[in-house]
Amino acid sequence: MSGLDRTIHEPARLRILTILSGLDMADFSFLLTTLGLTKGNLSSHMDKLEKSGFVTVNKSFNGRIPHTEFRITEDGRNSLARYWGEIDAIRSLNVNPEP
Amino acid sequence: MSEKANAERLEAGDPRLIVRWAQRYAKSRTISFLVQWFFIVAMVSVIALAASLTNAAYLAGRHGVFAVSIIAMGITILALAWFSVSRWGGELIARITQWLYGREGYVAYLEEGGDFATPWWLTGLGGGLVIYHLLGALVVSFDYSLIRYMQPYSALYMVPFLLTMILYQGLGFWAWIWPLLYGLHAILVLADAPIRLSGQWEMMNMIVPVFGYGLVAILTGHAYSRFALWKLKRLARSGLDSNTSKTDGADDEGTGT
Repeated sequence: MSGLDRTIHEPARLRILTILSGLDMADFSFLLTTLGLTKGNLSSHMDKLEKSGFVTVNKSFNGRIPHTEFRITEDGRNSLARYWGEIDAIRSLNVNPEP
Repeated sequence: MSEKANAERLEAGDPRLIVRWAQRYAKSRTISFLVQWFFIVAMVSVIALAASLTNAAYLAGRHGVFAVSIIAMGITILALAWFSVSRWGGELIARITQWLYGREGYVAYLEEGGDFATPWWLTGLGGGLVIYHLLGALVVSFDYSLIRYMQPYSALYMVPFLLTMILYQGLGFWAWIWPLLYGLHAILVLADAPIRLSGQWEMMNMIVPVFGYGLVAILTGHAYSRFALWKLKRLARSGLDSNTSKTDGADDEGTGT
């Protein structure tokens, strides 16, 4: 358990990264409605993911409305794959415990 | 093992299935196609109206109306061509699409190794499509071929063209409905199946397969995107309890948008 990346292991951030790993890009509204989080909570999670280098943020305006887009980075993608590898290893230990 | 193969053996409820449903949803978002469809159908309707007015004015000998309808037809054709290739047309469609999706938000899907830039060969195929159909219309106009063979003639180019576009853009299963129905329609016409309209409805034998089957495909995609989004939300929200939405001491007035 200690080997797991704490940033990714948090359930909301794990789901955010997993969604982004299947897409080229998703905006704030999409993540908000899909995950059912509050705006503040999602902002907080995105800040953490950005600071960890797992996502990139692109802020722009659609007319006068702010628009924020997120993309998973290569590092984020690799870390997510590593995380799931570790989870699978832990699960296999539970399924086949050593005698 | 590839990500796709790995996803095949995932148990129901595994968060990794989120990837699959996110991609299925993104590939099935067809509102932008529907907006384009409406614009093109509206412009083609104006062109058809101007063409029938031109014909009626010519037969009635009303030169003023004839000249006006010719100008209207020319302007609409130019507007359609400009709208199809201009940056303004693309931005207008994007704005309307975003407005229609509203709070659902925006996602983009990119096929592995894909590129947003349109390659020269794809632009060439689009131009070839127009030239091919103009040639077909000329052949029919000069009575070198029967109008009943126009749709099968069209299908010879349209079906491989649509398949190329679908494969290049990595669209979902819904997109395959259009070339499939279009090709099937051509086969039925050649087999003398009773699916043709005659008399004043003759033009519908081209309009219905081109726009009707396109609309069927687009609406199928939209319906599937609703299902995919529902599945995605269920998977993404499972395991996120009320405590999760209160972590990190965040307030409700986010700054992310």
